[in-house]
Amino acid sequence: MAGSNEVNLNESRMVVPLNTWVLISNFKLAYNLLRRPDGTFNRHLAEFLDRKVQANANSIDGVYSFDVIIDRHTSLLSRVYRPANAEEQQPTFIDLEKPVNSEVCPVIIFFHGGSFAHSSANSAIYDTLCRRLVGICKAVVVSVNYRRAPENPYPSAYDDGWTALKWVNSREWLRSMDSKVHIYLAGDSSGGNIVHNVALKAEESGIEVLGNILLNPMFGGQERTESENRLDGRYFVTLQDRDWYWRAFLPEGEDRDHPACNPFGPRSKSLEGIEFPKSLVVVAGLDLIQDWQLAYAKGLEEAGQKVKLLYLEKATIGFYLLPNNDHFYTVMDEISNFVSSDWTGLVVECTSLDPHLAGSECICFGGNQVSGIGYGFMKLQWLAGAV
Amino acid sequence: MGPYDSAISAGSSSGSSSSSSSKPHEIDGLLAGAGYKVRSSDLRQVAQRLERLETVMVNTPADVSQLASDAVHYNPSDIASWVDTLLSELNHPVPLPSDLPDFPDLVVSPLNQSMVSEAWTQQHQNISHHQLMAVTATEEDSGIRLVHTLVMCAESVQRGELALAGSLLENMQALLTRVNTGCGIGKVAGYFIDALSCRVFAPQGTASPYGSSYEIEVLYHHFYEACPYLKFAHFTANQAILEAFDGHDCVHVIDFNLMHGLQWPALIQALALRPGGPPMLRLTGIGPPSPDGRDSLREIGLRLAELARSVNVRFAFRGVAAARLEDVKPWMLQVSPKEAVAVNSIMQLHRLLGTNNNNTRNLPIEIVLGWIRNLNPKIMTVVEQEADHNQVGFLDRFTEALYYYSTMFDSLEACAVQPEKALAEMYIQREICNVVCCEGSARVERHEPLAKWRDRLTEAGFKPLHLGSNAFKQASMLLTLFQLRATVWRRRKDV
Repeated sequence: MAGSNEVNLNESRMVVPLNTWVLISNFKLAYNLLRRPDGTFNRHLAEFLDRKVQANANSIDGVYSFDVIIDRHTSLLSRVYRPANAEEQQPTFIDLEKPVNSEVCPVIIFFHGGSFAHSSANSAIYDTLCRRLVGICKAVVVSVNYRRAPENPYPSAYDDGWTALKWVNSREWLRSMDSKVHIYLAGDSSGGNIVHNVALKAEESGIEVLGNILLNPMFGGQERTESENRLDGRYFVTLQDRDWYWRAFLPEGEDRDHPACNPFGPRSKSLEGIEFPKSLVVVAGLDLIQDWQLAYAKGLEEAGQKVKLLYLEKATIGFYLLPNNDHFYTVMDEISNFVSSDWTGLVVECTSLDPHLAGSECICFGGNQVSGIGYGFMKLQWLAGAV
Repeated sequence: MGPYDSAISAGSSSGSSSSSSSKPHEIDGLLAGAGYKVRSSDLRQVAQRLERLETVMVNTPADVSQLASDAVHYNPSDIASWVDTLLSELNHPVPLPSDLPDFPDLVVSPLNQSMVSEAWTQQHQNISHHQLMAVTATEEDSGIRLVHTLVMCAESVQRGELALAGSLLENMQALLTRVNTGCGIGKVAGYFIDALSCRVFAPQGTASPYGSSYEIEVLYHHFYEACPYLKFAHFTANQAILEAFDGHDCVHVIDFNLMHGLQWPALIQALALRPGGPPMLRLTGIGPPSPDGRDSLREIGLRLAELARSVNVRFAFRGVAAARLEDVKPWMLQVSPKEAVAVNSIMQLHRLLGTNNNNTRNLPIEIVLGWIRNLNPKIMTVVEQEADHNQVGFLDRFTEALYYYSTMFDSLEACAVQPEKALAEMYIQREICNVVCCEGSARVERHEPLAKWRDRLTEAGFKPLHLGSNAFKQASMLLTLFQLRATVWRRRKDV
């Protein structure tokens, strides 16, 4: 465990609003109770403590939701969120799956976070987030209740994501005017990891995914990186808990260089030359696994894939859960642009709060130059016109 | 609350409170959206408690996850009290509270659990493979048409256009031949078409299609066996009763609908195993009078007495035969002032929501809740269907019921056991018939949503009790055995 606790606790209090600190600390401590040293998980207590909300077919702030069974055999459920039409009556249940009546309707398949072990599609924090995404992106959101570790390790979550993708792709009522379903994959933490792996599967199978959105995606590797050592235990997350979750998710006997954990590591498969969706990768500057996330973005770029990296220097994990900070709004705007049909390729802008770097072309982010996998000045750009 | 509406002081990344614009006594709106109730004015204090808890957890020599999982957690939404419970638990661990024994015929230890689940999945997959029928595009269309026609028909009924309703019903009988009525929408639609036909074609004043009390008991029993809902309800209610009876030597359970007494063996066993020994248990079972001279209430009572005797629990049973719950008067229950009373109502209270037939001032539900309150029970356990089937407008009721019962039938598809499944479906069918076909005093299935019940019970002087994590765990484990999700997902309209 990292050094003096008093110092650590004060540090994280300084960088987030108080209610955010209470929320994330509450999660942190509850999660500490749920992980057992022997690798098992107190699932019953986890479900009891998790704050959940029911779907609501009545529209609340222009969004209504309902749950669907995607696969009975694996009990795979998803929650569908749809924008309510202003002029329309409250939808009755026969209207739930009525066709989306627009020229272009993005459908965002969302994978909630929780380090592969926690949360569900009906967790309050994720229900709220998905509802926001509907409003911001004018999209239908399908939040997948994938199977979790340690009871269901790799590749269950990926399989469920793939099942959900096929389901969404085959819904007639989700097609835009061009008779195609406009699919985007989005996820935070482990959800971001699932996005990547489901996109890979999609590419192999010929289902078109228009874009990947990865918020603080969960990646790792066997090596200990500079950011991991520097930030261990300081902003809600410890290396010890990260290791626990990887052990819970990865197959027995595997280490963190398994491609599921380290997609661009020593055992990776090249993404060069394949039709991979454009990616929006959001990295929080106070997230201890940022080196891996940055390496992911770099890996995509080096494979000739389209990627936009949004580096938010002072953000911690979970900043997107409450709309009480600038990072939240920045990211929501980016996501909105990302899924809008008239978005065209742009050179990336730096989003560091450092005034020297903001607005400069071709420069991604600032920070200390460090060795190893660390980050330095990198040039990432969209391939123009490659929407 | 729109996507950006809840911004309070955006951009504040310092440690200062971001809720400066909200009133101090209000609950923090953003945390409320995350499912937590914390007053804005308490945020700082809660933060300090969290810091304290973390320090204690780090410094606790024993395995903190073990300690914390043994503790009973209540009301996680209230972060402050949750943290305080843990703090006291970690400082002074208390002995485990008594719990219901594992469900008698389904004993599962954590080691066996995965084996049981695996066996179940295998069996389940084999069966559903046969039942899986390919749904063609035309079938899907017919299904949707059926639903639309059903709603149209209900609308014409509401408008009094019975001729139109009649011809729509004929259309639907024809449509039914083109869908699979063995499962899915075809099956449910079939029942609703029958119920509507009953309403449209059968003259008013026919005997209620509800059946004799004996039939109902049999169907209920199979419904109990086929799906987990009632078992889960009984289990949870029993856990609450057990906790409420803690420390009392004379306890009295009043069951508003005894049926076959399926709820009580588990409670009797739990009381038998109570640390410190079992109390004296009285059970008063209310039920309809038996028409054929049998005293079915007494028969059930005798069987339960047998069981109680076999586990050394002093037990006394009393049956109260009443055709309607509103006919029961408190003096019939012979409650003694010295005993701790639990009132248990499984799907009975909604029957009291009909209009008043007597000339008394108050509604039947108010009268009954009033005398329950006057018994001063330690606890009242209420189980009700979470549905909105008592709306004034027929069309609203109909659409709601269509939605609700489709979901019910859908969940029943997971049941592979016959004849339990078929009889369970008949049980549900009776409910559908009552909701759709009957009016006035004949319509007894007047289900209302949780929010309405909560208000009603609060007004009658009752206070809600939180479900503890131990009860939750037992119930979850029970559900796991049915291969359903531990959190019960429902597709329904919220009020």
